[in-house]
Amino acid sequence: MAQQHGIIVLFDVENALRTRSLDGNTYWFDNMKFLGSAGVGTEELVTIVPGTYFLDGSQATEQVLNWLPAALGSIPPTVPRNYLAEQARAADRRALEELASFNAEGGATEAEVKQLQQRVSKRARKPVGGRGLTPTKLLDVTGKATSSPDAYNYPAPVITDITGQAVTEKIIYPAQYGSPDMIYDGWYWAATVDTSRPGVYPYTVHVQLHELVERNDELVWESVDLTCESSLKITSDPKRNGFTGAGLGVLPLPPVPAAG
Amino acid sequence: MKDRVSIVVMVDAVGALSERTLHNGNLSLVDDSTAGSQHQGTPDLVTAVVPGQVVQWTPIHIDVQTPVEIQAIEFLSGLPVPSPADLAAAYPAESAVPVPGAVPPYPVEPAVLAAGAVPTGVDATSSNGHENHDLLVWEGVVPYDMTPGVPYRYRLSLKLHEGPNSVLHIDSPALLRV
Amino acid sequence: MPPRSRQPERRPVRPVTITAVVDPVAALSSENLDDNLYLYDTNKAAGSTGFGTPALRSRVRKGDTLLWNVLPLECETYVALADIEIDPQIAEPTRKVYPGTDIVFWTAEVKQDLTEPIPYRLSFLLGIVNTPFTPTARPTLAGPAAEGKEGR
Repeated sequence: MAQQHGIIVLFDVENALRTRSLDGNTYWFDNMKFLGSAGVGTEELVTIVPGTYFLDGSQATEQVLNWLPAALGSIPPTVPRNYLAEQARAADRRALEELASFNAEGGATEAEVKQLQQRVSKRARKPVGGRGLTPTKLLDVTGKATSSPDAYNYPAPVITDITGQAVTEKIIYPAQYGSPDMIYDGWYWAATVDTSRPGVYPYTVHVQLHELVERNDELVWESVDLTCESSLKITSDPKRNGFTGAGLGVLPLPPVPAAG
Repeated sequence: MKDRVSIVVMVDAVGALSERTLHNGNLSLVDDSTAGSQHQGTPDLVTAVVPGQVVQWTPIHIDVQTPVEIQAIEFLSGLPVPSPADLAAAYPAESAVPVPGAVPPYPVEPAVLAAGAVPTGVDATSSNGHENHDLLVWEGVVPYDMTPGVPYRYRLSLKLHEGPNSVLHIDSPALLRV
Repeated sequence: MPPRSRQPERRPVRPVTITAVVDPVAALSSENLDDNLYLYDTNKAAGSTGFGTPALRSRVRKGDTLLWNVLPLECETYVALADIEIDPQIAEPTRKVYPGTDIVFWTAEVKQDLTEPIPYRLSFLLGIVNTPFTPTARPTLAGPAAEGKEGR
Protein backbone atom coordinates (compact mmCIF):
# COMPACT_ATOMS: atom_id res chain seq x y z
CA MET A 1 0.00 0.00 0.00
CA ALA A 2 1.45 3.38 -0.84
CA GLN A 3 1.90 5.71 2.07
CA GLN A 4 0.01 8.90 2.54
CA HIS A 5 2.15 11.92 1.74
CA GLY A 6 2.80 14.43 4.48
CA ILE A 7 3.57 17.93 3.24
CA ILE A 8 4.82 20.19 6.02
CA VAL A 9 4.97 23.94 5.49
CA LEU A 10 7.15 25.86 7.94
CA PHE A 11 6.52 29.60 8.14
CA ASP A 12 8.92 32.18 9.53
CA VAL A 13 5.98 34.02 11.08
CA GLU A 14 7.87 36.94 12.57
CA ASN A 15 9.45 37.89 9.24
CA ALA A 16 6.30 37.15 7.29
CA LEU A 17 4.32 39.55 9.48
CA ARG A 18 7.07 42.14 9.15
CA THR A 19 7.26 41.96 5.34
CA ARG A 20 3.58 41.02 4.92
CA SER A 21 4.69 38.26 2.56
CA LEU A 22 5.51 34.58 2.66
CA ASP A 23 8.21 35.01 -0.03
CA GLY A 24 11.49 34.09 1.56
CA ASN A 25 9.68 33.00 4.71
CA THR A 26 8.32 29.62 3.75
CA TYR A 27 10.07 26.23 3.85
CA TRP A 28 8.43 23.15 2.34
CA PHE A 29 8.93 19.50 3.26
CA ASP A 30 7.52 16.16 2.29
CA ASN A 31 8.58 12.60 3.05
CA MET A 32 8.98 11.48 -0.55
CA LYS A 33 12.54 12.54 -1.29
CA PHE A 34 13.50 8.92 -1.79
CA LEU A 35 10.91 8.55 -4.52
CA GLY A 36 11.86 11.73 -6.36
CA SER A 37 10.57 14.85 -4.59
CA ALA A 38 12.89 17.80 -5.27
CA GLY A 39 13.65 20.84 -3.14
CA VAL A 40 12.75 19.37 0.25
CA GLY A 41 13.60 21.93 2.91
CA THR A 42 13.57 24.88 0.51
CA GLU A 43 11.02 27.30 -0.90
CA GLU A 44 10.76 25.36 -4.14
CA LEU A 45 9.37 21.94 -3.40
CA VAL A 46 8.12 19.68 -6.16
CA THR A 47 6.30 16.79 -4.51
CA ILE A 48 6.43 13.53 -6.42
CA VAL A 49 3.15 11.63 -6.62
CA PRO A 50 3.99 8.22 -8.10
CA GLY A 51 0.71 6.91 -9.42
CA THR A 52 0.19 3.38 -10.53
CA TYR A 53 -2.33 1.76 -12.83
CA PHE A 54 -3.51 -1.75 -13.44
CA LEU A 55 -2.96 -3.36 -16.80
CA ASP A 56 -6.54 -2.60 -17.75
CA GLY A 57 -5.74 1.09 -17.39
CA SER A 58 -7.62 1.79 -14.19
CA GLN A 59 -5.94 3.72 -11.38
CA ALA A 60 -4.43 1.37 -8.85
CA THR A 61 -2.92 2.93 -5.71
CA GLU A 62 -4.81 5.80 -4.18
CA GLN A 63 -2.44 8.63 -3.36
CA VAL A 64 -3.40 10.91 -0.52
CA LEU A 65 -1.75 14.23 0.38
CA ASN A 66 -1.94 15.79 3.87
CA TRP A 67 -0.79 19.31 4.71
CA LEU A 68 0.52 20.37 8.11
CA PRO A 69 1.43 24.04 8.73
CA ALA A 70 3.96 24.97 11.41
CA ALA A 71 5.44 28.23 12.70
CA LEU A 72 9.19 28.69 13.08
CA GLY A 73 9.92 29.96 16.52
CA SER A 74 6.73 28.63 18.07
CA ILE A 75 5.92 25.72 20.25
CA PRO A 76 6.16 22.79 17.79
CA PRO A 77 2.97 21.18 16.43
CA THR A 78 3.94 17.92 18.16
CA VAL A 79 2.80 19.56 21.39
CA PRO A 80 -0.94 18.85 21.57
CA ARG A 81 -3.18 21.81 20.77
CA ASN A 82 -5.17 21.62 23.94
CA TYR A 83 -1.83 22.03 25.71
CA LEU A 84 -2.11 25.79 25.42
CA ALA A 85 -5.54 25.79 26.99
CA GLU A 86 -4.30 23.43 29.70
CA GLN A 87 -1.37 25.66 30.50
CA ALA A 88 -3.63 28.67 30.72
CA ARG A 89 -5.96 26.85 33.09
CA ALA A 90 -3.06 25.63 35.20
CA ALA A 91 -1.75 29.19 35.49
CA ASP A 92 -5.18 30.36 36.60
CA ARG A 93 -5.41 27.61 39.18
CA ARG A 94 -2.08 28.55 40.68
CA ALA A 95 -3.09 32.18 40.78
CA LEU A 96 -6.33 31.32 42.56
CA GLU A 97 -4.43 29.24 45.08
CA GLU A 98 -2.11 32.09 45.74
CA LEU A 99 -5.03 34.47 46.13
CA ALA A 100 -6.56 32.12 48.65
CA SER A 101 -3.32 32.03 50.61
CA PHE A 102 -3.22 35.85 50.71
CA ASN A 103 -6.65 35.91 52.33
CA ALA A 104 -5.55 33.34 54.87
CA GLU A 105 -2.54 35.43 55.75
CA GLY A 106 -4.70 38.48 56.24
CA GLY A 107 -4.13 40.45 53.05
CA ALA A 108 -1.27 40.87 50.58
CA THR A 109 1.35 43.48 49.94
CA GLU A 110 1.29 45.56 46.82
CA ALA A 111 4.33 43.71 45.50
CA GLU A 112 2.64 40.36 45.94
CA VAL A 113 -0.45 41.54 44.11
CA LYS A 114 1.66 42.82 41.26
CA GLN A 115 3.42 39.50 41.04
CA LEU A 116 0.09 37.76 40.92
CA GLN A 117 -1.10 40.04 38.13
CA GLN A 118 1.93 39.10 36.09
CA ARG A 119 1.32 35.42 36.73
CA VAL A 120 -2.26 35.69 35.53
CA SER A 121 -0.88 37.34 32.39
CA LYS A 122 -2.58 39.33 29.75
CA ARG A 123 -5.48 38.18 27.71
CA ALA A 124 -5.92 38.97 24.10
CA ARG A 125 -9.32 39.67 22.69
CA LYS A 126 -10.53 38.34 19.42
CA PRO A 127 -11.69 40.91 16.90
CA VAL A 128 -15.39 41.61 16.58
CA GLY A 129 -16.84 39.60 13.73
CA GLY A 130 -15.01 37.51 11.20
CA ARG A 131 -12.52 34.77 11.86
CA GLY A 132 -10.42 35.07 14.89
CA LEU A 133 -9.09 33.22 17.85
CA THR A 134 -11.07 32.70 20.98
CA PRO A 135 -9.92 34.86 23.87
CA THR A 136 -6.84 33.20 25.22
CA LYS A 137 -4.01 33.82 27.54
CA LEU A 138 -0.69 34.72 26.09
CA LEU A 139 1.91 32.01 26.31
CA ASP A 140 5.57 32.43 25.60
CA VAL A 141 7.58 30.04 23.45
CA THR A 142 8.42 27.79 26.39
CA GLY A 143 4.75 27.25 27.22
CA LYS A 144 4.55 29.53 30.24
CA ALA A 145 1.95 32.22 30.69
CA THR A 146 3.40 35.63 29.98
CA SER A 147 2.43 39.24 30.41
CA SER A 148 4.88 40.46 27.81
CA PRO A 149 3.29 41.10 24.43
CA ASP A 150 6.73 41.03 22.78
CA ALA A 151 7.56 37.39 23.33
CA TYR A 152 4.26 35.63 22.79
CA ASN A 153 4.04 32.29 21.11
CA TYR A 154 2.69 32.65 17.61
CA PRO A 155 -0.53 30.70 17.19
CA ALA A 156 -0.35 27.95 14.61
CA PRO A 157 -0.82 29.24 11.06
CA VAL A 158 -4.09 28.05 9.57
CA ILE A 159 -4.54 26.86 6.01
CA THR A 160 -7.77 28.34 4.72
CA ASP A 161 -7.79 27.11 1.13
CA ILE A 162 -5.84 25.30 -1.59
CA THR A 163 -6.23 26.56 -5.17
CA GLY A 164 -4.29 26.77 -8.41
CA GLN A 165 -3.77 24.72 -11.52
CA ALA A 166 -3.63 21.40 -9.72
CA VAL A 167 -7.13 22.08 -8.38
CA THR A 168 -8.73 23.68 -11.43
CA GLU A 169 -7.52 20.85 -13.62
CA LYS A 170 -8.90 18.38 -11.08
CA ILE A 171 -5.59 16.73 -10.39
CA ILE A 172 -6.23 17.05 -6.65
CA TYR A 173 -9.47 17.25 -4.71
CA PRO A 174 -8.56 19.11 -1.51
CA ALA A 175 -10.87 19.46 1.45
CA GLN A 176 -10.78 19.98 5.19
CA TYR A 177 -11.25 16.88 7.25
CA GLY A 178 -12.08 16.37 10.88
CA SER A 179 -9.68 14.33 12.95
CA PRO A 180 -9.61 13.31 16.57
CA ASP A 181 -5.81 13.61 16.40
CA MET A 182 -4.73 16.36 18.81
CA ILE A 183 -1.83 17.34 16.61
CA TYR A 184 -4.13 18.59 13.91
CA ASP A 185 -6.48 20.12 16.44
CA GLY A 186 -9.49 18.54 14.81
CA TRP A 187 -9.12 19.91 11.28
CA TYR A 188 -6.60 19.34 8.56
CA TRP A 189 -6.36 19.66 4.81
CA ALA A 190 -6.01 16.54 2.69
CA ALA A 191 -6.52 15.68 -0.95
CA THR A 192 -6.84 12.61 -3.11
CA VAL A 193 -4.94 12.69 -6.39
CA ASP A 194 -5.96 11.69 -9.87
CA THR A 195 -2.73 10.28 -11.24
CA SER A 196 -3.97 9.51 -14.74
CA ARG A 197 -2.48 12.68 -16.24
CA PRO A 198 1.27 12.84 -15.62
CA GLY A 199 2.87 16.27 -15.47
CA VAL A 200 3.93 19.07 -13.15
CA TYR A 201 1.06 21.05 -11.61
CA PRO A 202 1.49 24.12 -9.38
CA TYR A 203 -0.88 24.91 -6.52
CA THR A 204 -1.38 27.76 -4.08
CA VAL A 205 -1.88 27.43 -0.33
CA HIS A 206 -3.80 30.20 1.43
CA VAL A 207 -2.58 30.76 4.95
CA GLN A 208 -3.91 32.84 7.82
CA LEU A 209 -1.38 34.14 10.34
CA HIS A 210 -2.37 35.94 13.53
CA GLU A 211 -0.73 39.04 14.89
CA LEU A 212 -1.09 40.54 18.33
CA VAL A 213 -1.94 44.20 18.04
CA GLU A 214 -2.62 46.84 20.65
CA ARG A 215 -5.83 48.76 20.05
CA ASN A 216 -7.48 51.13 22.51
CA ASP A 217 -5.33 49.86 25.34
CA GLU A 218 -6.14 46.23 24.85
CA LEU A 219 -4.51 43.40 22.97
CA VAL A 220 -6.33 42.04 19.97
CA TRP A 221 -5.57 39.18 17.60
CA GLU A 222 -5.75 40.26 14.00
CA SER A 223 -5.59 37.87 11.12
CA VAL A 224 -3.26 38.32 8.17
CA ASP A 225 -4.02 36.40 4.99
CA LEU A 226 -1.11 35.42 2.75
CA THR A 227 -0.39 32.85 0.03
CA CYS A 228 2.48 30.58 -0.94
CA GLU A 229 3.09 28.14 -3.80
CA SER A 230 4.32 24.65 -4.46
CA SER A 231 3.94 21.97 -7.17
CA LEU A 232 3.10 18.35 -7.68
CA LYS A 233 4.86 16.09 -10.15
CA ILE A 234 2.49 13.34 -11.18
CA THR A 235 3.90 10.16 -12.68
CA SER A 236 2.17 6.95 -13.52
CA ASP A 237 3.60 3.49 -13.98
CA PRO A 238 1.96 0.14 -14.55
CA LYS A 239 1.47 -2.35 -11.78
CA ARG A 240 3.18 -5.62 -12.48
CA ASN A 241 3.08 -8.95 -10.80
CA GLY A 242 5.91 -9.31 -8.31
CA PHE A 243 6.48 -12.99 -9.12
CA THR A 244 6.32 -12.87 -12.91
CA GLY A 245 7.07 -9.27 -13.80
CA ALA A 246 4.01 -9.24 -15.99
CA GLY A 247 0.56 -10.68 -15.27
CA LEU A 248 -0.89 -13.24 -12.91
CA GLY A 249 0.87 -16.61 -12.85
CA VAL A 250 1.34 -19.70 -10.76
CA LEU A 251 3.11 -19.31 -7.41
CA PRO A 252 6.77 -20.29 -7.83
CA LEU A 253 6.77 -23.13 -5.30
CA PRO A 254 9.87 -25.32 -5.10
CA PRO A 255 9.49 -29.03 -5.94
CA VAL A 256 10.44 -29.86 -2.36
CA PRO A 257 9.73 -27.30 0.35
CA ALA A 258 12.35 -26.51 3.00
CA ALA A 259 12.11 -28.60 6.15
CA GLY A 260 9.93 -26.74 8.63
CA MET B 1 -14.09 -22.59 -1.77
CA LYS B 2 -12.98 -18.96 -1.90
CA ASP B 3 -11.46 -17.78 -5.17
CA ARG B 4 -9.00 -15.60 -3.41
CA VAL B 5 -7.07 -15.59 -0.13
CA SER B 6 -5.72 -12.30 1.11
CA ILE B 7 -2.68 -12.16 3.41
CA VAL B 8 -2.31 -8.78 5.08
CA VAL B 9 1.20 -7.80 6.15
CA MET B 10 1.04 -5.27 9.01
CA VAL B 11 4.25 -3.53 9.98
CA ASP B 12 5.25 -1.04 12.65
CA ALA B 13 7.86 0.62 10.46
CA VAL B 14 9.44 2.84 13.11
CA GLY B 15 9.72 -0.09 15.53
CA ALA B 16 11.18 -2.32 12.84
CA LEU B 17 13.71 0.30 11.69
CA SER B 18 14.69 1.20 15.25
CA GLU B 19 15.17 -2.40 16.41
CA ARG B 20 16.25 -3.66 12.97
CA THR B 21 13.98 -6.66 13.21
CA LEU B 22 10.53 -7.72 12.15
CA HIS B 23 10.20 -9.71 15.37
CA ASN B 24 9.34 -8.18 18.75
CA GLY B 25 5.82 -7.44 17.63
CA ASN B 26 6.83 -5.27 14.70
CA LEU B 27 5.22 -7.60 12.14
CA SER B 28 1.84 -9.23 12.12
CA LEU B 29 0.47 -11.48 9.36
CA VAL B 30 -3.25 -12.11 9.04
CA ASP B 31 -5.20 -13.91 6.33
CA ASP B 32 -8.87 -14.43 5.47
CA SER B 33 -8.66 -18.09 4.50
CA THR B 34 -11.62 -20.20 5.67
CA ALA B 35 -9.71 -23.47 5.45
CA GLY B 36 -7.99 -23.36 8.84
CA SER B 37 -4.92 -21.10 8.96
CA GLN B 38 -2.75 -21.09 12.07
CA HIS B 39 -0.83 -18.50 14.07
CA GLN B 40 -2.88 -15.56 12.86
CA GLY B 41 -1.40 -12.22 13.84
CA THR B 42 2.18 -13.44 14.10
CA PRO B 43 5.17 -13.75 11.76
CA ASP B 44 4.63 -17.54 11.89
CA LEU B 45 1.35 -17.50 9.98
CA VAL B 46 0.58 -20.73 8.12
CA THR B 47 -2.06 -19.92 5.52
CA ALA B 48 -4.38 -22.76 4.51
CA VAL B 49 -4.85 -22.83 0.73
CA VAL B 50 -6.53 -24.90 -1.95
CA PRO B 51 -5.20 -25.38 -5.52
CA GLY B 52 -6.64 -22.90 -7.99
CA GLN B 53 -7.01 -20.12 -5.42
CA VAL B 54 -5.25 -16.82 -5.94
CA VAL B 55 -3.18 -15.83 -2.92
CA GLN B 56 -2.38 -12.12 -2.59
CA TRP B 57 -0.05 -10.39 -0.12
CA THR B 58 -0.79 -6.76 0.77
CA PRO B 59 1.32 -4.56 3.08
CA ILE B 60 -0.32 -2.17 5.52
CA HIS B 61 1.57 0.10 7.85
CA ILE B 62 0.56 1.24 11.30
CA ASP B 63 1.68 4.83 10.73
CA VAL B 64 0.11 5.83 7.44
CA GLN B 65 2.93 8.13 6.53
CA THR B 66 5.79 5.63 6.63
CA PRO B 67 6.54 3.58 3.53
CA VAL B 68 6.32 -0.22 3.66
CA GLU B 69 6.49 -2.32 0.52
CA ILE B 70 7.14 -5.97 -0.21
CA GLN B 71 10.61 -6.35 -1.66
CA ALA B 72 10.40 -10.09 -2.37
CA ILE B 73 8.59 -13.31 -1.57
CA GLU B 74 10.80 -16.34 -2.11
CA PHE B 75 9.70 -19.86 -1.33
CA LEU B 76 12.41 -21.77 0.48
CA SER B 77 13.54 -24.98 -1.14
CA GLY B 78 14.62 -28.19 0.54
CA LEU B 79 16.74 -29.04 -2.51
CA PRO B 80 19.74 -27.24 -3.98
CA VAL B 81 18.38 -24.69 -6.45
CA PRO B 82 18.94 -25.69 -10.11
CA SER B 83 20.88 -23.31 -12.33
CA PRO B 84 18.96 -21.14 -14.75
CA ALA B 85 20.39 -23.24 -17.60
CA ASP B 86 18.88 -26.45 -16.17
CA LEU B 87 15.57 -24.73 -15.72
CA ALA B 88 15.57 -23.30 -19.21
CA ALA B 89 16.04 -26.80 -20.56
CA ALA B 90 13.29 -28.23 -18.35
CA TYR B 91 10.79 -25.40 -18.67
CA PRO B 92 10.98 -23.56 -21.98
CA ALA B 93 9.52 -20.15 -21.13
CA GLU B 94 7.39 -18.41 -23.73
CA SER B 95 6.51 -15.06 -22.30
CA ALA B 96 8.25 -15.25 -18.92
CA VAL B 97 9.92 -12.02 -17.86
CA PRO B 98 12.94 -12.31 -15.52
CA VAL B 99 12.44 -10.55 -12.19
CA PRO B 100 15.78 -9.52 -10.70
CA GLY B 101 16.72 -11.38 -7.54
CA ALA B 102 13.74 -13.77 -7.40
CA VAL B 103 13.35 -17.53 -7.90
CA PRO B 104 14.11 -18.58 -11.51
CA PRO B 105 11.14 -17.83 -13.79
CA TYR B 106 8.33 -20.36 -14.14
CA PRO B 107 6.09 -20.62 -17.18
CA VAL B 108 3.22 -18.17 -16.89
CA GLU B 109 -0.15 -17.79 -18.50
CA PRO B 110 0.07 -14.97 -21.04
CA ALA B 111 -1.11 -11.81 -19.30
CA VAL B 112 -4.04 -9.83 -20.63
CA LEU B 113 -2.53 -6.47 -21.39
CA ALA B 114 -4.09 -3.12 -22.09
CA ALA B 115 -4.05 -2.31 -25.79
CA GLY B 116 -0.61 -1.18 -26.85
CA ALA B 117 1.18 -2.22 -23.65
CA VAL B 118 4.17 -4.49 -24.11
CA PRO B 119 5.85 -6.55 -21.39
CA THR B 120 9.45 -5.47 -21.42
CA GLY B 121 12.57 -6.74 -19.70
CA VAL B 122 12.86 -3.43 -17.85
CA ASP B 123 13.02 -3.61 -14.07
CA ALA B 124 9.39 -3.76 -12.99
CA THR B 125 10.00 -1.42 -10.05
CA SER B 126 11.51 1.39 -12.07
CA SER B 127 9.54 4.63 -11.76
CA ASN B 128 10.82 8.04 -12.75
CA GLY B 129 14.38 6.89 -12.15
CA HIS B 130 13.61 5.59 -8.66
CA GLU B 131 12.72 2.18 -7.30
CA ASN B 132 9.07 2.07 -6.41
CA HIS B 133 7.99 -1.25 -5.00
CA ASP B 134 4.42 -0.07 -4.79
CA LEU B 135 4.32 -1.01 -8.48
CA LEU B 136 4.41 -4.69 -7.70
CA VAL B 137 1.33 -6.79 -7.09
CA TRP B 138 2.19 -9.88 -5.09
CA GLU B 139 -0.32 -12.53 -6.08
CA GLY B 140 -0.19 -15.98 -7.60
CA VAL B 141 -2.26 -19.08 -8.22
CA VAL B 142 -1.84 -22.12 -5.95
CA PRO B 143 -0.61 -24.95 -8.23
CA TYR B 144 -2.32 -28.34 -8.41
CA ASP B 145 0.93 -30.20 -7.81
CA MET B 146 1.44 -28.64 -4.37
CA THR B 147 1.96 -31.45 -1.86
CA PRO B 148 -0.89 -31.48 0.69
CA GLY B 149 -0.22 -31.27 4.42
CA VAL B 150 3.33 -29.93 4.07
CA PRO B 151 4.04 -26.28 4.95
CA TYR B 152 5.82 -24.42 2.16
CA ARG B 153 7.81 -21.77 4.00
CA TYR B 154 8.73 -18.52 2.31
CA ARG B 155 11.07 -15.64 2.93
CA LEU B 156 9.12 -12.40 3.13
CA SER B 157 11.39 -9.38 2.54
CA LEU B 158 10.03 -5.93 3.32
CA LYS B 159 11.44 -2.62 2.23
CA LEU B 160 10.97 0.23 4.68
CA HIS B 161 11.94 3.48 2.97
CA GLU B 162 15.41 3.11 1.34
CA GLY B 163 19.06 2.69 2.11
CA PRO B 164 21.32 0.14 3.76
CA ASN B 165 19.01 -0.55 6.69
CA SER B 166 15.77 -0.55 4.81
CA VAL B 167 15.27 -4.23 3.90
CA LEU B 168 14.28 -6.70 6.61
CA HIS B 169 13.03 -10.28 6.23
CA ILE B 170 11.58 -13.26 8.03
CA ASP B 171 11.62 -16.93 6.97
CA SER B 172 8.85 -18.25 9.14
CA PRO B 173 5.48 -17.87 7.37
CA ALA B 174 4.19 -20.67 5.14
CA LEU B 175 1.42 -21.84 2.84
CA LEU B 176 -0.22 -25.19 3.55
CA ARG B 177 -2.39 -27.09 1.10
CA VAL B 178 -5.33 -28.66 2.89
CA MET C 1 21.15 46.18 34.52
CA PRO C 2 23.93 46.60 31.88
CA PRO C 3 25.10 50.18 31.27
CA ARG C 4 23.48 51.78 28.24
CA SER C 5 26.70 52.52 26.41
CA ARG C 6 27.41 48.82 26.03
CA GLN C 7 23.93 47.89 24.84
CA PRO C 8 22.93 50.47 22.25
CA GLU C 9 20.46 48.14 20.55
CA ARG C 10 17.35 46.91 22.32
CA ARG C 11 17.84 43.22 22.91
CA PRO C 12 14.91 41.12 21.65
CA VAL C 13 12.75 39.73 24.41
CA ARG C 14 11.88 36.81 22.21
CA PRO C 15 14.45 33.99 22.24
CA VAL C 16 16.28 33.07 19.06
CA THR C 17 14.73 29.73 18.22
CA ILE C 18 16.77 27.17 16.31
CA THR C 19 14.51 24.48 14.86
CA ALA C 20 15.79 21.13 13.61
CA VAL C 21 13.47 19.59 11.03
CA VAL C 22 14.20 15.85 10.83
CA ASP C 23 12.95 12.96 8.70
CA PRO C 24 13.49 10.18 11.26
CA VAL C 25 12.29 7.30 9.07
CA ALA C 26 14.64 8.28 6.23
CA ALA C 27 17.50 8.80 8.68
CA LEU C 28 16.97 5.38 10.29
CA SER C 29 16.69 3.48 7.02
CA SER C 30 19.56 5.18 5.20
CA GLU C 31 21.74 5.64 8.30
CA ASN C 32 22.35 9.15 7.06
CA LEU C 33 21.15 11.89 9.35
CA ASP C 34 22.89 14.73 7.46
CA ASP C 35 20.77 14.16 4.35
CA ASN C 36 17.61 14.27 6.43
CA LEU C 37 18.30 17.17 8.77
CA TYR C 38 17.31 20.76 8.00
CA LEU C 39 18.11 23.58 10.44
CA TYR C 40 16.48 27.02 10.60
CA ASP C 41 16.45 29.90 13.07
CA THR C 42 14.34 32.98 13.65
CA ASN C 43 17.20 35.43 13.13
CA LYS C 44 17.35 35.65 9.36
CA ALA C 45 16.82 39.38 9.54
CA ALA C 46 19.97 39.69 11.68
CA GLY C 47 22.03 37.70 9.17
CA SER C 48 21.76 33.99 9.95
CA THR C 49 22.71 31.78 6.98
CA GLY C 50 22.75 28.13 5.98
CA PHE C 51 19.00 27.65 6.32
CA GLY C 52 17.81 24.20 5.39
CA THR C 53 21.16 22.50 5.93
CA PRO C 54 22.77 20.78 8.92
CA ALA C 55 25.34 23.62 8.95
CA LEU C 56 23.18 26.53 10.04
CA ARG C 57 25.08 29.64 11.06
CA SER C 58 23.07 31.59 13.63
CA ARG C 59 23.80 35.26 14.19
CA VAL C 60 23.63 35.91 17.92
CA ARG C 61 24.90 38.36 20.53
CA LYS C 62 25.81 38.23 24.16
CA GLY C 63 22.66 38.10 26.26
CA ASP C 64 20.47 36.46 23.62
CA THR C 65 18.40 33.54 24.82
CA LEU C 66 18.65 30.55 22.49
CA LEU C 67 15.99 27.87 22.24
CA TRP C 68 16.45 24.63 20.30
CA ASN C 69 13.48 22.47 19.30
CA VAL C 70 12.66 19.69 16.85
CA LEU C 71 10.03 19.17 14.16
CA PRO C 72 9.71 15.58 12.84
CA LEU C 73 8.44 15.11 9.29
CA GLU C 74 6.39 12.13 10.38
CA CYS C 75 4.32 13.67 13.14
CA GLU C 76 3.75 10.43 15.02
CA THR C 77 7.43 9.43 15.12
CA TYR C 78 9.51 10.33 18.14
CA VAL C 79 12.48 12.62 17.66
CA ALA C 80 14.20 14.53 20.44
CA LEU C 81 17.39 16.47 20.94
CA ALA C 82 19.49 14.23 23.15
CA ASP C 83 22.37 16.63 23.75
CA ILE C 84 23.97 19.90 22.70
CA GLU C 85 27.76 20.10 23.01
CA ILE C 86 29.17 23.60 22.94
CA ASP C 87 32.00 25.47 24.60
CA PRO C 88 30.58 26.16 28.09
CA GLN C 89 32.15 29.61 28.08
CA ILE C 90 29.83 30.50 25.20
CA ALA C 91 26.66 28.81 26.41
CA GLU C 92 25.47 26.05 28.73
CA PRO C 93 22.29 24.58 27.27
CA THR C 94 19.82 23.02 29.68
CA ARG C 95 17.25 20.41 28.79
CA LYS C 96 13.61 21.19 29.46
CA VAL C 97 10.21 19.86 28.53
CA TYR C 98 7.09 21.80 27.64
CA PRO C 99 5.26 21.58 30.98
CA GLY C 100 2.95 18.60 31.20
CA THR C 101 4.44 16.89 28.12
CA ASP C 102 7.48 14.80 27.29
CA ILE C 103 8.42 17.03 24.37
CA VAL C 104 11.98 18.23 24.86
CA PHE C 105 13.52 21.62 24.15
CA TRP C 106 16.82 23.16 25.20
CA THR C 107 17.62 26.73 26.22
CA ALA C 108 20.80 28.65 26.85
CA GLU C 109 21.96 32.21 27.24
CA VAL C 110 24.80 33.47 25.06
CA LYS C 111 27.43 34.41 27.63
CA GLN C 112 29.86 36.34 25.43
CA ASP C 113 29.96 38.33 22.25
CA LEU C 114 31.39 36.07 19.55
CA THR C 115 34.53 37.17 17.76
CA GLU C 116 34.67 34.05 15.59
CA PRO C 117 32.14 31.36 14.63
CA ILE C 118 31.72 28.70 17.30
CA PRO C 119 30.73 25.26 15.99
CA TYR C 120 28.62 23.08 18.23
CA ARG C 121 27.30 19.53 18.09
CA LEU C 122 23.69 18.34 18.21
CA SER C 123 22.69 14.73 18.82
CA PHE C 124 19.22 13.25 18.34
CA LEU C 125 17.17 10.34 19.57
CA LEU C 126 15.23 8.81 16.66
CA GLY C 127 12.32 6.40 16.94
CA ILE C 128 12.93 3.89 19.71
CA VAL C 129 16.70 3.61 19.24
CA ASN C 130 18.50 4.18 22.54
CA THR C 131 21.76 5.46 21.05
CA PRO C 132 21.72 9.07 19.86
CA PHE C 133 22.56 9.96 16.27
CA THR C 134 24.96 12.79 15.49
CA PRO C 135 25.21 14.50 12.12
CA THR C 136 28.64 15.02 10.55
CA ALA C 137 28.14 18.66 9.63
CA ARG C 138 28.18 21.18 12.47
CA PRO C 139 25.99 24.20 13.01
CA THR C 140 27.65 27.34 14.36
CA LEU C 141 26.92 30.42 16.40
CA ALA C 142 28.43 33.61 15.00
CA GLY C 143 28.59 37.22 16.08
CA PRO C 144 28.52 40.35 13.96
CA ALA C 145 32.32 40.64 14.08
CA ALA C 146 32.66 37.39 12.10
CA GLU C 147 30.97 39.05 9.16
CA GLY C 148 33.30 42.04 9.24
CA LYS C 149 30.50 44.44 10.16
CA GLU C 150 30.29 46.52 13.30
CA GLY C 151 27.20 45.93 15.40
CA ARG C 152 25.09 49.06 15.56
